[in-house]
Amino acid sequence: MPRTQALMIQIATGDARPISKQIVDGVRMKIATAELAPGDQLPSVRGLAQQLTINPNTVAKAYAELTAEGWLESRQGLGLFVAAPRQRLSDSERDRRMDEAISAFVHEVAALDYPPQRALARLDRALQVLSRKTA
Amino acid sequence: MHDLFKAELLRFRGWALGAFAAHLLVLAFLARVVDLAQQPPLVYRVFGGVYTLAGVLLGLYQMGSYRRPNVWLNLLHRPLAPWRIAAALLGAGLAWLAVAAALPVLLAAIYQAGLTARVVDHRHWLLPLAAWLLTACGYLAGACCMLGTRKRAAAALVLLIALALNQASGAWALLVQAVALSWLVAMLVVSFRPDLSAPPRSPPATVLLALPLQMAVYVLILLLQFGGQMVWIMQGSHPNNTATPPPGGQNETERMTSKQRMLAGLAASTAPQAPLWREQVALSDVTGIGLDLRALPVRGALTNAAPTDFDDGKRGVRWTFSHDCMCLVGYRIAGGRAAGTLGVGAANAAFPAPTVAAGALPGQPRDDRSLIAGNMLYHYVSETARVLPRIRLPAGEWLLGTAAVGTNLVVLSDRALYFFDGRDVVADEKLLVPRQRMPIPGAAGDLRDLELIELVDGYLVSASFTQYAYVMDGAAPYQTLSWVHDDGRVTQVARRAIAFDYPAWFRYQAWWPSPALYEVRQGALGLFATPDPMQATRPAPMPRSIEWLAGLLMLVSLLASLWLVRRRALSMPARVAWVLACGVIGLPALESLWLLYPALEAEQAVRLRPLAV
Amino acid sequence: MADTDYVIETRALCKRYGSKLALDTLDLAIAPGRIHAIVGANGAGKSTLFRVLLGFLPPSSGSARILGRDSQRLTPADRGRIGFVNEEHTLPGWMRVSAVTAMQRRQYPRWNQRAFDEVIGHYHVLPEQKVGQLSRGERAGFNLALTLAQGPELLVLDEPTLGLDVVAKRAFLESLMYSSAAEACTVIYCSHQMEEIERVAENLIILERGRLAHMSAPEAFCARVSHWIADMPFAGPPPASVPGLLQVQRIDGLHHYLVLDQDEDFGAFLRDAGARSVQSMPVSLDRAVNGFLAKNHAMPVAA
Repeated sequence: MPRTQALMIQIATGDARPISKQIVDGVRMKIATAELAPGDQLPSVRGLAQQLTINPNTVAKAYAELTAEGWLESRQGLGLFVAAPRQRLSDSERDRRMDEAISAFVHEVAALDYPPQRALARLDRALQVLSRKTA
Repeated sequence: MHDLFKAELLRFRGWALGAFAAHLLVLAFLARVVDLAQQPPLVYRVFGGVYTLAGVLLGLYQMGSYRRPNVWLNLLHRPLAPWRIAAALLGAGLAWLAVAAALPVLLAAIYQAGLTARVVDHRHWLLPLAAWLLTACGYLAGACCMLGTRKRAAAALVLLIALALNQASGAWALLVQAVALSWLVAMLVVSFRPDLSAPPRSPPATVLLALPLQMAVYVLILLLQFGGQMVWIMQGSHPNNTATPPPGGQNETERMTSKQRMLAGLAASTAPQAPLWREQVALSDVTGIGLDLRALPVRGALTNAAPTDFDDGKRGVRWTFSHDCMCLVGYRIAGGRAAGTLGVGAANAAFPAPTVAAGALPGQPRDDRSLIAGNMLYHYVSETARVLPRIRLPAGEWLLGTAAVGTNLVVLSDRALYFFDGRDVVADEKLLVPRQRMPIPGAAGDLRDLELIELVDGYLVSASFTQYAYVMDGAAPYQTLSWVHDDGRVTQVARRAIAFDYPAWFRYQAWWPSPALYEVRQGALGLFATPDPMQATRPAPMPRSIEWLAGLLMLVSLLASLWLVRRRALSMPARVAWVLACGVIGLPALESLWLLYPALEAEQAVRLRPLAV
Repeated sequence: MADTDYVIETRALCKRYGSKLALDTLDLAIAPGRIHAIVGANGAGKSTLFRVLLGFLPPSSGSARILGRDSQRLTPADRGRIGFVNEEHTLPGWMRVSAVTAMQRRQYPRWNQRAFDEVIGHYHVLPEQKVGQLSRGERAGFNLALTLAQGPELLVLDEPTLGLDVVAKRAFLESLMYSSAAEACTVIYCSHQMEEIERVAENLIILERGRLAHMSAPEAFCARVSHWIADMPFAGPPPASVPGLLQVQRIDGLHHYLVLDQDEDFGAFLRDAGARSVQSMPVSLDRAVNGFLAKNHAMPVAA
């Protein structure tokens, strides 16, 4: 009998990102860093809403987005579970999105007038979090 | 609805029980000291005023606590019709008022009836009900005041004024109070709505609210006039207060001594004996005829217009007149034990009218009394405790007073003056027969001063009718001089016309602001009342100028209403009705139209303009 | 014609107090279901709107309908379907909690005892306590419990957490969002505390000076507003010429622009106006609403 896995995400009001986006990002991060393994059950809509003290419909929206993108799957009568990892996007789409993320990052670095070498070092450290998953 | 009622009862429980206890203590203390049922009218007026005021305060407080927009919303936003909510709240208030105001009075009456020998008539059992009705009217008026918009808040108080001034007696007075109560209840139910600022919607509601408002405006006009009179007095040129009154006027006549008045009357006489009489007046004593009764008692009245009891010092008994048996009921002054009843004659028959005790007739023993009852005068003989009829006036006349003139007796009624031989008074106990009868040449209400001198061949009587010459109810003032001959003939020897001291617009100041409302006022004050014979007057004819003035004001009101009605949100039939009302009723109606309906704002509303960045 | 599509519908609703327009041709249509938040500065007309909708104030012009009924002609049955909670949480202070509950239970035929117990369980309220003895937070919770247990189709809350401490506020929001009764009804939540709005709202309605300034999901509104920071050597373009300007501030020599419905072209506009560097970022909901509402207020003098 699968038990609900604890979902250790925070949301902040007054953040530039809407709350549903924060939940989506948070869940994606947990999956990416392997804190949530495929097959783990996520808290119910009401449960997570109560945990975060937010409107259940906001949680429902976030879950719907995550399910549409393929991060989560819904099992009949049981709830929401982390989906097995599989490629949801085409390679070209992945590349395009990667370019976008890189471009945004580079622009920030330029605007901050940050020495590129130091930026690279810091990026490397941050990405090590992800490599734990593939390792 | 019952829940709301019980909740509101609970809210005021403490205050009500406290008021009940305090009220009961006061009545208990007073009942030990005096006979609560036989007090002069002032006592009852004071108590009535306190009850009404207490009711007003409760109404203001209770509705005031609910009036705030948030609380009002909370009160009325529930699945309960507004009139039910009102019924629950008011029912609680009325119930506690019955406990605090009426119950102690009832208990005092029970105490007096059961534990003392004092007289408690059926009319006295109505007093608790009257107490409750008065305080209930005050309560509803206070509540109405709180619920109305600021512009028309105080209109309901007009009904309280009407209650205070109404002339009805006994059970009829209670009926008047009930009528006022019903009007106030209707006003309140019409006002008790979620939207408190809205003007009345239906024609009956409009009449219910508009009429007291117009009467309130009318009262305000009267008050302003009164204020103007105060200014006039302070200024020093008011006829009542000038050092020398206007010559030939009513004030001058009233300030004269009796002798001067007779001389003034004689000055206008063309009789051949006038010079002779002038000398006699200068030499003799002029006797003024006064009243023994300030007001006429009415059978079944709740209060006592005239004193209802008298003491027989020698016997140590207090005799109180009871309206139920129309007889005198006695109890010992020391100790309070009952001492029997007393009627007319040997058979102890009932009196024909409520009886007032006056001093004994000249020549009778000091402990004896005269008892005035309607058209009869009785002799109360202290020694035998008997009441014997001595004077019977014609039916329908009211005996008002007696006076000794020389050795003779003069009796005044509302219609005539009677002269009796003084020796007959003490000779035996038979019914006295008058020697002469002089009809009073005017109405009893107009008569102010009555004096006479004894002549060799009769009496010379001066009657001046100036009592109400300063208001429109009074006759045009005049003075008459009459010669009552020994053989009973009466000839009028002089009639002196007296000038009005006040101009016509002053005398008719209650009428010309609104003739229609004046009639309403007279109707309200006289509702269910029997006219008082002592106040009957023969009003002078209304001058044309006053009628023109009133008509002019009505016309002004009509024209102004045509303009005013266009700037109000009213349907066409309503507009027509209001214009007609303003024409018929006059300026108070115009003012009530302005107060009741908010003006339509100009089409170009001022919007909040954003500040230029 | 039964307009049952909207729970609240106003058409050209105006309400004047003397020369001041509290509601200015307001056209508002709120569909049933969901939690709607109404936001506006003080004096924007929120309380006036509710008073008009519930029939306690007559409109100066226009129409107001609530649950498909004319606001001026609400029957007691209609009122039984609408719950209203305001910041005062008016309750008879001299009565006991149990008595007030019993009275409420008898008045409303659709009383939901379970919902009542659910909500009141968040608060330490005993049945034999007098209402006047409850703290503000407890009274608010009790009031909410009473109102939710009525089983209303429409629940209107006008700044209900005003003056509540942190604990009570959170308890109130939890009771509101997670109670079974709240699921079945449309909730109109009125507040100017953006933190609450962000948690609670699915539809954001902004009232400004008596007019409807905006209505959409909160994210959609947020997406319209962006914050641009430009380094300009001179004074910068005159505010009247800046497209979509909500607020402009000069802080430490940098120009901060809060703009509405602007995309990358705005960056170009700023460069054309002489900016040496230009950056933009999205804003939080309360910054967006604040900027939107502050559009017409006076600006602080340039630093």
